[in-house]
Order: sequence, then structure tokens, then C-alpha cells
Amino acid sequence: MKLIDAIEGQEYVIQDIETDDEELDAFLFSLGCYSGETITVVSHIKSGCVVSIKDARYTIDNQLADAIVI
Amino acid sequence: MRIALTGNPNSGKTTMYNALTGSNEKVGNWAGVTVSKKEQKIKNAYCNNQELIAVDLPGAYSMSPFTSEESITSTYVKKENPDVIINIVDATNLSRSLFFTTQLLELGIPMVVALNKSDINSKKETTINVAELSKQLGCPVIETISTSKQGLNELIQAATKQSTQKQTAPFHQKEIDLTNKNEVENADRERFSFVNDIVKKVEHRKIQTKDKNINDKIDAILTNKWLGIPIFAVVMYLVFEISQVWIGTPIADWLVAYLEMFQAWVGDLLANANPLLSALLVDGIIGGVIAVIGFLPLVMVMYFLIALLEDCGYMSRVAVVLDPIFKKVGLSGKSVIPFVISIGCAVPGIMASRTIRNERERRATAMLAPFMPCGAKIPVISLFAGAFFNNAGWVSTLMYFTGIVLIFLGALLINKITGYKARKSFFIIELPDYKIPSLWQAFKSMCNRGWAYIVKAATIILLCNTAVQIMQTFTWSFTVAETADASILATIATPFSYLLFPIVGVLSWQLAAAAVTGFIAKENVVGTLAVCFVGLENLIDTEELVLMQGAGQEVAGIIAITKIAALAYLMFNLYTPPCFAAIGAMRSEMKSSKWVWGGIGLQFGVGYTVAYFVYTIGTLFTAPETLNTVGALVGLFIVAIFVITISVLIKNANKKVKEEYALTSK
Repeated sequence: MKLIDAIEGQEYVIQDIETDDEELDAFLFSLGCYSGETITVVSHIKSGCVVSIKDARYTIDNQLADAIVI
Repeated sequence: MRIALTGNPNSGKTTMYNALTGSNEKVGNWAGVTVSKKEQKIKNAYCNNQELIAVDLPGAYSMSPFTSEESITSTYVKKENPDVIINIVDATNLSRSLFFTTQLLELGIPMVVALNKSDINSKKETTINVAELSKQLGCPVIETISTSKQGLNELIQAATKQSTQKQTAPFHQKEIDLTNKNEVENADRERFSFVNDIVKKVEHRKIQTKDKNINDKIDAILTNKWLGIPIFAVVMYLVFEISQVWIGTPIADWLVAYLEMFQAWVGDLLANANPLLSALLVDGIIGGVIAVIGFLPLVMVMYFLIALLEDCGYMSRVAVVLDPIFKKVGLSGKSVIPFVISIGCAVPGIMASRTIRNERERRATAMLAPFMPCGAKIPVISLFAGAFFNNAGWVSTLMYFTGIVLIFLGALLINKITGYKARKSFFIIELPDYKIPSLWQAFKSMCNRGWAYIVKAATIILLCNTAVQIMQTFTWSFTVAETADASILATIATPFSYLLFPIVGVLSWQLAAAAVTGFIAKENVVGTLAVCFVGLENLIDTEELVLMQGAGQEVAGIIAITKIAALAYLMFNLYTPPCFAAIGAMRSEMKSSKWVWGGIGLQFGVGYTVAYFVYTIGTLFTAPETLNTVGALVGLFIVAIFVITISVLIKNANKKVKEEYALTSK
């Protein structure tokens, strides 16, 4: 399933990042967002969701949330 | 000896740099405040008279740059061989920070880790075994709190001691083909698992980050679907209301009273001097500068409030709230921070656009940021609000609101001209923990920028005022002009006044001269008007003029325009190119003269068009008989040229896009 459908507060393991944008992929990697790592959706908001990766909070938009397979 | 400060964004590098060097560089609670390299000598208190230079660098998550400011950091540590690296690690986020740390350790440059924000960790009851971490990394680790300067002495001592040592790396990347994406990714995965092992050994967390905390509760309100934008609007409204009405204006009135006493005192001193000299000094130089300095309290209160906003962590949330709207015009939430900073000054605002990765988006942001009325425009707004609208608060609100609308419309225009194709763009922004903003920090920032304002008034503005006063006093044959209309200034400014005629409805070389000097620095508009009209009281509303003439009064050098004209003239000054400094900043961020000239052209066109329509339509509604047909037609012609140019550009862009699609389909 996609991150967009994740249940709030539940920890998921990232399966894949579906993007052709290699730089974005590398950037997400440096934040600790890559397949095999865990990710938690803290809350869903209108434009996307608030996620917890490693020990930081980020807001990502729906397009990006749609590219993260968990 | 040079010490480079490196680390993840928002780990506290610049706060530490300010503490070490006594500088006052901009700090804030979001990722990406610092966008360029800064160098300064470290204070003697920390280095026992050794020559130590601290180098502050923009934050980065890894050695491979993502945006242009991150590449400054990796290039610097690789090419410039600093003697020691202080790697500032956010103690609340070891698991991410150490990835970059292990990369830096591989460079072989002596390194010390500053485990910063250790106070937040003790609050969250997270413990880190510092001795073990130091052993694992193979370099000294010092706990620091840069906001309260704790641990800085030990840190610098450790750094100087370390500078003679050879640095070994705990993790070595295998020999891989760096162009092969899979090999690089595998090596990075190994690095991260190495980091994860260290974190497991040294860190003990009581509260997990993924659990909801107080920050999330605040976020739920501030970034709420319905409340987010209204809250932002209220916050900004309060910033303007407090700075420009509640607190700023009373202090300004008090200050102006003293300044005018000073002006009168100098006038008395020069009572017996050459009248020409005393006019130059008292009315020209002092009068002009006082007119500008008088607005200092408004500007300073606003800087104070904006510093508080920047420090508390709200800025990232604003970016989140406005991202969906900005996406609709081809920008993103990332553009919001440059726009908000531009409320203070467009120059750092334009520079902040560097954190935007998409080139078109970055250039568009730099081009549009000056539409936001900046601190230097406050005197202009306040002058007109005071002279024509009884200091009404709505004037200022309307100006900011129009600025925002112009940013949206401008973004749409730029999309059309550049042939923007809707494509996937991703938005990700870190949400730092909220913190109580430091009043002391805000005070320092306010004084710093207030001082810069005074310096500007005492240099550029003073110089321009003097030049204006001299040019207004003499004719081309360097004899004293009998009336100002025969002066050098009048003859130079008159051609421009024809261009302004469709906007203000009168041929006034004074207003034209003020607008022209305003392109050097916006405060000049106020200074020049003060010089030309011998004090600003003579710039008045036509309705008042009727009353005054009714009383049989005659005032020399008076200029009377209607309220609508005042509004239009104000808008012309606010939305045309801001000042030379901002254009310089645009040039260095856009790195394309085509874009810079395009930007200047767009700002001129938009500013003129807005002012023209405000005046013409406004006059048609209020007093149609006073509208000059010739003027209106000339203005319409100028606006038409602008509109036609834009349409041709859009047409060309469309053609290009079509050609591109045609090529791909072949």
C-alpha cells in the first residue's frame, strides 16, 4: 500500500520509493527515508501528511506520499 | 587556523558561530536559514589570543548536495582544507546526523563533534553515552548548548588540540564506482546501518519520536484545514497593526518631536549665516534625513516581531499551510519563507530563494519577492497614509494585500511566459520543534537591523538628499534658481513627470524626482519629497487645499493631488523595482541576465499598470470631470505596450511548447 493510506501512529517499513527523480531519491535517502527503514504517519492533513522518519518530523505533500510504498 | 562549522540544517551552527565570534548573523528555527559562507575571528575569550577563524557554512544532510546552498558546504570542506572541522550534531536526532558525520570523518581532516541541543535531550529524558560515542567515532565529542554558550570553551580547546592530530575514520566506504547508482546506494545503506548500530549502543530514549507530542497538538491547530490560513492572516495583521499603529506610531511621534527640535536648534544657530547654506543644511540635509529617521520606530518594532516569528518555529508551518495555494500558480510552500522574509527586507528574502531546488521556481520566487512591501517602504506607506488618509490602518493592510495578489498574478504570468508545463513536483519540509522565542535574540536582531537603517539614512539617503537639494537650488548656469521650477532638478525630472501624469493627474517634477531617487533606495521617496516640499506638510490633499485657499492662505511649493492619485502614486512606488540592492541580489540568485531584465521589466510593467488603473478607474468613480482624457489615453498606450509585449512572449512560449511536443511525437 501507499503511505497515503497509512494508519496514523502505526509504524510501517518502506518497501520502495517510486520516483524517476534520482536527486530526490538520494535526498530522501540522506534523511533516512529508503526501503527497509521505518516510517510513521503522525497525522494526515489536507495537502499531505506529517511523517516521522528517524527522529525528525516532516510534512510531505500528497504527491510524495503517493510515491512511497509501504 | 580555520575551523569549519558543519552539520545538518537547523542544528544550531549559526547560533554557535554568533556565540563564538560575537557576530550577529541571522538565525531562525527552520532548516535552511544560512545560505552562504561566513568567516569571522573567534573571540579572545575562547581562544587565548590565538588566531582562530570560524567559518559558518549552510547546513547539509550529506556530502552529495541537493540544493545550491548545500553544495557550498561540501565544496568548502573538500577543496579549502580547513584545519579543523567542528561537526555540530543535533543531539535530538543522532540517527540522521551521524550519517553526515561519518562522511566528514572520511575526509581525514581533524574533527570534533559538538553534541548540541543537549538541554532538549535532558527534557525529553533521552540520554547519550558521550564517552562511548567518542570511542565509536574516533574523535572527541563535547556536549554543548549554543543558545546559552555552554561547552564552547571545552569545544574550542578540543578543536585546537585536535588540529595537530591525524583523523581516522571509523567507517570506510568500499572502493566503488561512484557513477553506478546501485553501488552508491548499497554503500550508503551500509553506512546507515553502521550509524544505526552506534545509535543503539549510545542512545537511550524514553519518549519515541513517532509518538504524538505537544508539537503535534499545536500543529493540528496551526496547520488545520480551515484555520491554518486565517491564523496566518491574523498573525500577519497583528505584526503590521502592532508595529505601524499600536506601538510604532506613538514612539515615532515622540521621536519626530525631538528631531524637529534639533532641526529648529540648528536653524537658530544658522540664523545669521548665508540663507542658501542654511536652507541646504536645515531644510535639505537635516529635514530629509529626519523625515526618514522618524519612521525608524515603526520599522524596528516590525523587525522585532518578525524575529520572534522566525525564532519560534512557525515559518515551516506557514510553508505547509500555503503550499497548496502556491502550487496552483506553479510555486510551492518553499517560496513562502522568502516572501515572509521580504517583509523585512527584499535582499535577504531574495537570497532565501536559494533553498528552492527547481530552477524556474527559484527564479520566479526571487523575481516576485520584491512585490512584498519591505521595511524601507514602510516610511513611504506611512507618509501617504498620514498625509491623505488620516493614518488609516487600512492603507497599509491594502498595500500588503495587493502585494500578495500581485505575487500570485505575477507567478501566473511567469508560468505563461516560460511555457510552464504542470509536472510532478514534490514538497517536503522539516518541522522543527516549537520553542519559546528568545526576546534577547529578537532585541539583538532589531537593533542590528535598526542600526543598518540609520546607517543607510546617514549615508545613501543623506547623499541623495544633499544632491537633490543642490540640484533644486541651482540652475544649469550655476546661479541660484529664482523658482525651483527653473532648477537643474526640475529640468531633469520633468520628462519623467510626463510618464507619471497618467498616474497622478498633475505634472509634478517633484513627484517624478522622488520616484526616480526611490529606485536607489525606497526611503529616498520620503527624503526627496521632504526636500522638494520644504517639509512634508506641503504635500496635501486637494480637498484641504480648497479649504486653505478659502481661508486666503498661500503656501509656496505646495503640491496638491487627490486621494486617489496619492494611492496610485504610492502603489507605483511600492510595486516597481524596489532598489539597486534588491536588483543586485536578484542578479546573483538568478544567474541569468535574461531573467534579471525580465524581472525588472515585469516589475515596472506591473507597478505602472496597477497604478494607472487605480488612478483612472478610481477617478472615474469619484470625480469623472477631473480625469484628463489625454493623460488617460497616454497611460492606456503605455499599459498596452506592456500587455502586448507579455502576450507576444506568451505566444512564443506556447509555440515553443508545441514544437517540443511535436518533436517528441515524431
